[in-house]
Amino acid sequence: MADRHLHPANGNSASGQFGGAAPFFVGLVVALILGWWAFPQMLYSQKHQPIRFSHKVHMEGAGMECSSCHFLREDGTFAGLPTTESCAECHSEPMGSDPEEVRFIEEYVNTGKEVEWLVYQKQPDNVFFSHAAHSMDSCNKCHEFTETELCSSCHPNVAETDEAPVYYENKLTKYSKQTMKMWRCEECHAHPEHYGTTRSSNACYVCHK
Amino acid sequence: MAVDRRGFLKFVAGVSAGVMVTPIPWKLLDDASIWTQNWPWIPSNVDGASTYVSTVSKLCPSCVGMKVRLVGDRPVRILPDENHPLSKGGISPLAVAEAQMLHSPARVMRPLKKAADGAYVAISWEEADAMLAEKLGAAKGGIACVSGDETGTINEVLSAIAVQAGSGNFYLMPTEAQPAAKAVAAMGGKGQLGYDIENSDYVLAIGANVLETWGTVIRNRAAYKAARPHGEEPAVQYVFAGPVQNSTAAGADQWVPIKAGTEGVFALGIAHLLIKAGARADAADFDAFRSLVEAYNPAKVAEITGTNPEQLKSVAGALMKARTPLVITGSDFGQGTGAATVMAGVAVNMLLGGMNRKGGLKLLPVAEPVVSSAMTRAEMMGKDFVSYMSRINAGKEKAPAAMVFYEANPAYALPQATKMSEVLAKVPFKATFTTFLDETAMLCDLVLPVPMGLERLDDVATPYGSGQALYCLARPVAPMPANVKPAGDYIIALAGKLGCSLGVSSWEEVLQAKAQAMGADWDSLMDGNVFMSDATVSASLSFGADALAKSVAPKAKEGDFAVAPVFKLGIGTAKTAIPPYNNKLIRRWELQGNELYVAMNGATARKLGVLMHDKIVVSNKSGNLTARVNIFEGIMNDTIAVLMGLGHTAFDQFSKGKGENVMQLLTVGFEAGTGLSVWNMAGVTISKA
Amino acid sequence: MQVKEFKVKWGMAIDIDKCTGCGACMVACQAENNLSPIEDASNKIKVMNWLVVYELSNKKPFPEHDVAYLPRPCQQCGTPPCVSVCPVIATDKNEEGGIVSQIYPRCIGCRYCMAACPYHARYFNWLDPVWPEGMEKALTPDVSVRPRGVVEKCTFCHHRFMQAKDKAIVEGRDPEALADGDYVTSCTEACPNGAIVFGDLNNPDHQVYHLARSKYASRLLERLHADTQVYYISRREWVRRQLDNYLDNEKVKG
Repeated sequence: MADRHLHPANGNSASGQFGGAAPFFVGLVVALILGWWAFPQMLYSQKHQPIRFSHKVHMEGAGMECSSCHFLREDGTFAGLPTTESCAECHSEPMGSDPEEVRFIEEYVNTGKEVEWLVYQKQPDNVFFSHAAHSMDSCNKCHEFTETELCSSCHPNVAETDEAPVYYENKLTKYSKQTMKMWRCEECHAHPEHYGTTRSSNACYVCHK
Repeated sequence: MAVDRRGFLKFVAGVSAGVMVTPIPWKLLDDASIWTQNWPWIPSNVDGASTYVSTVSKLCPSCVGMKVRLVGDRPVRILPDENHPLSKGGISPLAVAEAQMLHSPARVMRPLKKAADGAYVAISWEEADAMLAEKLGAAKGGIACVSGDETGTINEVLSAIAVQAGSGNFYLMPTEAQPAAKAVAAMGGKGQLGYDIENSDYVLAIGANVLETWGTVIRNRAAYKAARPHGEEPAVQYVFAGPVQNSTAAGADQWVPIKAGTEGVFALGIAHLLIKAGARADAADFDAFRSLVEAYNPAKVAEITGTNPEQLKSVAGALMKARTPLVITGSDFGQGTGAATVMAGVAVNMLLGGMNRKGGLKLLPVAEPVVSSAMTRAEMMGKDFVSYMSRINAGKEKAPAAMVFYEANPAYALPQATKMSEVLAKVPFKATFTTFLDETAMLCDLVLPVPMGLERLDDVATPYGSGQALYCLARPVAPMPANVKPAGDYIIALAGKLGCSLGVSSWEEVLQAKAQAMGADWDSLMDGNVFMSDATVSASLSFGADALAKSVAPKAKEGDFAVAPVFKLGIGTAKTAIPPYNNKLIRRWELQGNELYVAMNGATARKLGVLMHDKIVVSNKSGNLTARVNIFEGIMNDTIAVLMGLGHTAFDQFSKGKGENVMQLLTVGFEAGTGLSVWNMAGVTISKA
Repeated sequence: MQVKEFKVKWGMAIDIDKCTGCGACMVACQAENNLSPIEDASNKIKVMNWLVVYELSNKKPFPEHDVAYLPRPCQQCGTPPCVSVCPVIATDKNEEGGIVSQIYPRCIGCRYCMAACPYHARYFNWLDPVWPEGMEKALTPDVSVRPRGVVEKCTFCHHRFMQAKDKAIVEGRDPEALADGDYVTSCTEACPNGAIVFGDLNNPDHQVYHLARSKYASRLLERLHADTQVYYISRREWVRRQLDNYLDNEKVKG
């Protein structure tokens, strides 16, 4: 009919409106589910640490502190994750009954290999981060962070866990899901109230190398 | 319900609108921007704790002390060591590349044997042991050993083998030390010449490239650094006399151009003026010396050396005015000069009252050997390798049945290199202990890998040029590659198999004995400390006037032009070739692609009728090279300057096939008074190519 | 363009009369900053050397010829021409200390900055860096490795600045007030003649402060008003003349 455009299929009734728009909303919902649920499932693969390390055992059981392994060295660099050598200071022989420990000694201590720990906060090579600059002294000039609060503002708080949390690796970029992007650092570094009180500036070279 | 076209399009529109408010496009874009920059073939940073270990370089002739920075267990940087007397806060352009050289493609990583078709095949150590035992055993009595490590006690082990199993043919590769030792011997002295540069207020270097390659270079330069505050009048004057305006000339206050090889005459010219002004020395043959230098007045000296008589007089005058002057003579390219050059220099120091004086020339004690039947230092210095090879070439001496090289590259480094390689080819069995696959290794039947200085325990004993007796250890900072064995222990065991009794059973024992002989404390040395002693031996020398008189007359040149090789540490030595980073140091008009450039001044170029970039052939009876012309006015007339260290035919892609080897042009002659081989007065003819 | 002012201004005073052209600084720079070696280094326009030692000549014939050697790092200009032209702000001068930054992942490789730099201090990675097998083990973790397609330049060993500040924090000192010698570049450290002096040009406790004000000190291409932070000292007038191509009839400082 030549005047078909004057007669929409469903007319001008309310159901006609929704009926006409239904596919649109269906599509919308499909997209939202895809984007917010399915996509993250597909994008991240779940990985586990090579050795089932328990912070609880070491902190409560052995009475260690965070800084027993994660400390600032004399030259100002951060020790990060302990080397097999430093673990071997105690674990040259099995100290408990856990088969994981035995596996650690056999596969790493005895062969001198380093454990390839999955770093939740892995940053690319071009990023320079100084733990020394983000010290309690520096931040607590104005804030009142406890050590746990300060460290947990970037890292997952694993101090009381018996095993490390699942490591979600972005299949595309190979970085951790928790890897902070630049905007997160800028929350402090570009914060106007931080100028003058701390040395944090937003200059490129403060964070890049 | 049925999906019609419109429905489908609306669905798609819904999806599109919905997707925009999900993370999908934004996260994917962001992740893609990271993913596209994750190039797996670009190396990533590998973190680790930094530690620092002090050691000394066994690769650089300056024996510079250095601090190695390790990240985790990997050596990554070679840094200066302010506490080491041979560094004092500086590092040489060669040693600084050692961390990279650990991974050089030219490194020998396992024993190699030359197969029938000329290729080198990897063999096991057992096979190498068997081959050495068989061939060297059969050659007993006719084994010659050549070492390129001038300062290490490995020489005592090698010379002991040569003495007990090889008719005493142990040779060190030629450097500045042999003419100096010959000079001391001719002047009736004992001990090693030492140079107290730190306390001198006027340093005259005649030929000796003190700020680039001569002696304990980095230590020399530390003294230079201390003497010259930025932008102010220097506290110490440095004057350099030589054919090329080289690095030392650039740093000196004055460059005195003299013809190549005439350093000794220049020194005698100074002596003449000093004596005329009343200088004396308490030596038995002073009168003989005085009548010898009578003839070397400024006019005669100017004629022979090409110098300006006024310059000669002003230098002599300045020497007399200085409180603690020091005269250092040597070859402008680190080898090939006669004993007369050094004798003349010592004579000037004697006239200046500088013997065993602060800021002057010293006679340093030399420790006795610690290995049974090893040669003494004096004996080692007295052996003339170039002369030996020349005699074999002339048929005056039989080629040895076997030759063992240790960190030496004579096939490349000897003067008349092409001819010398032919002589080496006559030796029926050759084995080399070498770190890199060099030209000599490519002539050998058996190539055995030696760990680099950073991987082994080794020593440095009073390097030539040091101002004091000195002993320090090179300590290992990196593990040896899997198939490389420590050379010291291996050679000691080999000596045992050949039936030599050295009186020592391990390399560490040798070093400990040497430390004791030097008066050093082993534990302190192993902690990274350097032993130094103020002790000197008698410096009452004669002038050796007889020998000097016969030696100093310069021999006639072969061609119209002189060759002045230019030795720069950054370009590497015959042992190391050009380290991977260092070919960027070669200047634009020294090498282009693989074409060598040689330098001459404008007057010389006009005489030849050549312009910059013209191709020329430089030749004499010993060899020839083709090169392009670079005009550089800092060169004596009728002289061409050629960069040493090019023209390698072995090693790796950073050195191979670049330019030509100037050593082939250096014709060998013999110093009349001492018999020492000399090759610093090579003459060439030049023609357009 | 306005000159940015910083409390601390890192600079150098290089004594040309002390440089003998050995190249230790050039090799130390390559090793420190993870530059890659190259098989044929004859094309000096393309070869990557953040620090280049130039050979100067008084242009007189033998025997009056005089030679000088001039190490040229990035001049860290006060008003950097490179910064003003970068379309993506991959390079900027915004950090306390006055070091001009170069951020590799941001650089798009247009090379506008290379055209703008009057000192030829910027280098483009025409090729991917290649190390002989195993030599990547000698790379330091302090400097990222650049892929092809980005421009790089001397950074005054900025990573050493960060390390010096960290060390100061750990030792209880003020990282904004580093003492003379706490932070030096790799080239400064390596030079056996001590030709390079490095430090804070604004701090009278640093040696370089006084040296930069010496009567023989001037800067390269001074009259371009780039306000560079590298001062060159020479007691020889012909050398000072060449620092800004002075005509024979023009007077030079000192």
